[in-house]
Amino acid sequence: MTATEPRAAVEEPQPTPRRVRTTVLAWVTSTDHKRIGLLTLGTAVVLMIAIGALALTMRAQLAQPQLDVLSPDRYNQFFTIHGSGMIYLVMTPFAIGLGLYLVPLQIGAPNVAAPRTTMLGYWLYLGGAVTMLSGFATSSGAADHGWYAYPPLAGTRFTPGPGVDLWIAGVALAGLGMLLMAATVLWTALVKRTRGMTLLRMPVFSWSVVATNLMCIGAFPSLLVAMGILAAGRIEPDLFTQNAWNIGYQHVFWFFGHPVVYVMFFPFVGAVAEVLAVFGARRYFGYRITVVSLLAFAALSMSVWGHHMFSTGQAENDYYSLTSILLLVPAGLEYFGFLATLLGGRLSFPTPMLFAVAFVPQFLIGGLTGIMIATPAVDYQVTDSYFIVGHWHYTLAAGSLFGFFAGFYYWFPKATGLQLRERMGKAHFWFWLVGTNATFLPMFWLGLHGMPRRMASYLPQDGFGTANLIATLGSGFLAVGTVIFLVDLVVSVRRPRRAPDDPWGGFTLEWATSSPPPPQNFDPAHPVPPIRSYAPLLDLRPDLGGGRGRR
Amino acid sequence: MDYRRVFDHVFGLQLWIAGGVFVVVAGLLLGALVFNRARRRDKLPFAAAEHNAIEIAFAVFLGGAAAFLVWLSLSNNHRLDYGDTLAVAQQSGLPAGQQPVRVDVTAFQWCWSAAYPGSTTTVSGSCATPADRPVIVVPQGRPVEFAITSRDVAHAFWIPDLALKRDAYPDHVNTVLMTFPETGQWLGRCSEYCGTYHKDMDFFVRAVPPEQYQAFLQTGSLPARAAA
Repeated sequence: MTATEPRAAVEEPQPTPRRVRTTVLAWVTSTDHKRIGLLTLGTAVVLMIAIGALALTMRAQLAQPQLDVLSPDRYNQFFTIHGSGMIYLVMTPFAIGLGLYLVPLQIGAPNVAAPRTTMLGYWLYLGGAVTMLSGFATSSGAADHGWYAYPPLAGTRFTPGPGVDLWIAGVALAGLGMLLMAATVLWTALVKRTRGMTLLRMPVFSWSVVATNLMCIGAFPSLLVAMGILAAGRIEPDLFTQNAWNIGYQHVFWFFGHPVVYVMFFPFVGAVAEVLAVFGARRYFGYRITVVSLLAFAALSMSVWGHHMFSTGQAENDYYSLTSILLLVPAGLEYFGFLATLLGGRLSFPTPMLFAVAFVPQFLIGGLTGIMIATPAVDYQVTDSYFIVGHWHYTLAAGSLFGFFAGFYYWFPKATGLQLRERMGKAHFWFWLVGTNATFLPMFWLGLHGMPRRMASYLPQDGFGTANLIATLGSGFLAVGTVIFLVDLVVSVRRPRRAPDDPWGGFTLEWATSSPPPPQNFDPAHPVPPIRSYAPLLDLRPDLGGGRGRR
Repeated sequence: MDYRRVFDHVFGLQLWIAGGVFVVVAGLLLGALVFNRARRRDKLPFAAAEHNAIEIAFAVFLGGAAAFLVWLSLSNNHRLDYGDTLAVAQQSGLPAGQQPVRVDVTAFQWCWSAAYPGSTTTVSGSCATPADRPVIVVPQGRPVEFAITSRDVAHAFWIPDLALKRDAYPDHVNTVLMTFPETGQWLGRCSEYCGTYHKDMDFFVRAVPPEQYQAFLQTGSLPARAAA
């Protein structure tokens, strides 16, 4: 199918439905946004398991002082690939892949705009992932300069060997892939909405993806430039004897590096918002202010990068502190929407709702500590310590991943036509709830008591043993929870239970079509319903007071 | 500058505020779960989509909170003289005995060295074991200006107990001003990841009475039973 054809195909019944091919070749050459989205999400889930296992090994190494599970060099490779992998190859593809799968469905479009470009994005991402991880197969090992690869350390004088070269190529490929995918999804949301789907009737999730992809367009080119600087410096090592290039790299890198933090956050805000509304059985409260907040947040996010550089002595700290702290206004308004939707809802608690509810206080810890480290007088002490490690693991693992799992459990029946097992889902949730807090809360204490980040081991007299042991035990809970999640997937596929088209009573258009949706998303048996608000299916539900309320 | 006192003040206040916000949000969340309308099946969930007056009022409140936190952040950053060389210029009006003492600190893979302008005394070590850590000697009671640079890659000079940190770059000198009000010895670390033995880059900063400091500058070592 081409991009220009589908609109007619939605409205007119096809005489003979096309046979859906399910070979591997059909998947990797697909032009269906659902398949490309599932490939992206599936690849990212596999990588999450592999890259998460690196972190478990590191936690084993740090469980007690002076353990020898990993050599210092191997440890340094592991934390580098854990950080880079989770950011470039897992959380960003989760964010953009979820948008790719859902936005065309939610706005009633038959497909993504430019599906071949989108598929190219997936190939680039997959190629980037393989390239980066192949560093482990070289004699000097994978890259070991940390996920932001500061020169001169990342130059050939201090880190020779092909691991870094592969890392640079991998990040550039995956980054370009994500940029292409983000661009086509943004294009889809802006110009391929179905009749009646005005901008202010797009679901909150779709809006969160629009904001996300706007940030991608602004930020990812800067990542490509940063990788170009690194590559140039590896060809001409004298480049990195000059401070201007070293600190310049940091500015260019963080100009990408901060917006991407919100790329890995926004779609999960959107997913949580959808889940809270549906399992609160009510219209999402504060829709318009949430949309404005998302856009303001995205705009402001482009001006805060220097808060990663307070201790460099080479950034305008007051300015970046100002813009960073201002982020609390849109963030607070998003929280207002979450809480106001929950208050006065008729709540039920299947697995997606548990993850969504836990997202709210857990991400809050990441956000509140974020304001602290946006304050230079505090950041001078805690930057590059475990306090920072605790902060962003609360945002990404205890926050965004909970949002991702809320979305995963919520949309899995739609995407596959299969039901997951509720009891295993809930077990996964409780293990992760205990695991994230036990793992990441002690890190704040460690940072305040002087443990720098990226320490391959520590001495008994440092006094870091107990807190690290608690963190390591917590990571065991995360491992068990993840195994339950995988078993749940295997069981649900091997002993399938059919999911109905709308198992949760959803409000948005994807629940009006079949599970899984037909190739063109909607067909004569599943037409696009009339759209009168951002919750079109709720409008058809008088039992929930769907006809009432503001549109 | 007393980084520790400023840190304790700002961080302590923020911790209270953050704790309060967390309690309010978690309380509202728990309230929503406890007073769940699902228990009263006859009641419909609220259908309202928005309430502009409350939303705008809350946005104004958030703006006020942000303004306060920005003021807190900026004013305390100014108390630390932005943590940079501006401080030294401002201090130049001080009497001779109170002029800042400069210590040139150089980071390298994987340890530290220190030199004292106007003296042949230097400090270095290998950091390979705790016994090989360099001890950077400074005078108690006089402002000390650490001029921090690096011979190779980026490092960071961090004294956790004093809440003092500044990055070290090649081809660039960062300065940071600090007064040690009492004698003592503090552990320092490298907090910017710098390669294989980043974990071992520990050092000590030792503040001694001014007369011992003068002896140190002249002889290159502290008296045998110097105050620690």
